[in-house]
Amino acid sequence: MFRFVNLTLSGVSNGMIYAAVALALVLIWRGTRVVNFAQGAMLMFTTFIAWDLSQQHNVNYWVALAVGIGAGLVMGAVAERLLVRPVETGPPLNAIIVTLGLYIFLQGLAGAIWGNAQAHSYPPGYSIIGYKVGHRTLLFAPNDLYIVIAVAIILVALYVLFNRTPVGLRMRASAFNPEVARLLGVRVGRLLTVGWALAAGVGALAGLLAAGTNPGYVAPTGYFDALLIYGFTAAVLGGLDSSVGAVVGGLLLGVLLSYGDGYIDNNVEGMYAVIILIAVLMVRPNGLFSRRAVRRV
Amino acid sequence: MLSIEDVVTTYGAVRALDGVSLAAEDGTITAVLGANGAGKTTLLRTINGLVKPQSGSISYAGHDLLKTRVENIVQYGIAHVPEGRGVITELTVEENLRLGALWRGERAVAAQSMREIYEMFPPLAERRQRSADTLSGGERQMLVVGRALMAKPKLLLLDEPSLGLAPRITAQIFATLRQLREQQGLTVVLVEQNARSALSVADEAVVLNLGKVVAQGKASDLAADEKLRHAYLGF
Repeated sequence: MFRFVNLTLSGVSNGMIYAAVALALVLIWRGTRVVNFAQGAMLMFTTFIAWDLSQQHNVNYWVALAVGIGAGLVMGAVAERLLVRPVETGPPLNAIIVTLGLYIFLQGLAGAIWGNAQAHSYPPGYSIIGYKVGHRTLLFAPNDLYIVIAVAIILVALYVLFNRTPVGLRMRASAFNPEVARLLGVRVGRLLTVGWALAAGVGALAGLLAAGTNPGYVAPTGYFDALLIYGFTAAVLGGLDSSVGAVVGGLLLGVLLSYGDGYIDNNVEGMYAVIILIAVLMVRPNGLFSRRAVRRV
Repeated sequence: MLSIEDVVTTYGAVRALDGVSLAAEDGTITAVLGANGAGKTTLLRTINGLVKPQSGSISYAGHDLLKTRVENIVQYGIAHVPEGRGVITELTVEENLRLGALWRGERAVAAQSMREIYEMFPPLAERRQRSADTLSGGERQMLVVGRALMAKPKLLLLDEPSLGLAPRITAQIFATLRQLREQQGLTVVLVEQNARSALSVADEAVVLNLGKVVAQGKASDLAADEKLRHAYLGF
């Protein structure tokens, strides 16, 4: 029983990170009908920036975090304006190729700047020594609580932005029906740029939180690719069109992977994710929360 | 005044509009009639800028609409009621309405307009917090008309407002248009396949066939022209 509680707790904290990555993918999918395969590389790059500041230049953890997220916002906006906008009206494959191209470019660029040979470690925000219950240690540390709270704050902030502000209403209108939105005077193009920026900012936070949970996380390839796959699986699990689904999907995936690690074998975590992805696509391709059919993937 | 001169719009090799000219005076209701594929919807989409014409000119109240971005026409007082799927079904009824007034940015005015719309269309008031997805066809049409009116337009472009509606609801929407024209001097351009009811509400009418204007004049004159009715209007 204690083991079950522990695996669940550990799954929840990882799940929050997957939820954030999934949300980044969902925000972009809803707005521009593009699956952003560069998301993993983008959050790798922003994590490197924060790592460089905090580990190479002794910049304060919170300042580095803010700069990392800020870099994500800028990178998302630039990617939308320069790369995605020109291919938006073309066949879906064009946009997929463009995001894959960006993925390879960022990976190469990170390698060129920071080197491919060595994986670096990024500090956690808080202690990673688990809370104690009596004489037993939980697989849940102050840093996990920090992850849960940080992502929860972002989720609430985004919820308020989208559902309670005029900008959010404009963004949703742009995503759901761009033509009608334009006729009502909404500057759709500008809001799609904002949507990409927000998504990449959420992604950057996810990357930084993830990097703090494992030593040797920060490298151009490896962990971050897996994080994209987990985020994508979570997004598909929840239904690519639903932000609530992304969060539930992320938590569900986190817990399932944790059980897989704990009860079966912890060397093949990536495989569990792919099995879940395939199972979802076979049984319920629209995900748990999507109201409409996924038009194209 | 809305003035359209010699507009040609093509889709590939098809000339959807083939030299259409039309003038709508302020405070009038103009019906644009014709069969499927006559170019009626293309005419509206060309006016609001969703489709770029090959040649011709379109102006409204001194503004060159062909040089205006779609997002900006609402600022000239032009509102568009699109055909069929104009409701954003993922949003609530109230959010759809709010969207109409967003460009004006004044919350108090928007709240006042919203009350007026709910008085005009009581079924919407009962469902204000519901997803627009749950509305019937007639309620959706009320919603798109109401949303367009939230923008406080001077010129209203309507695309097939009667499509799929019960005659009673069509009559109600047309009565609303007449009332707004009388009270506020609203100008209306009404695209319709349902020629009989459109002519009953309109002052002026234009009949399109294969992208060309084949008849133009007072709505009452067109309605009285039996040959024209048989040839193009189907009643």
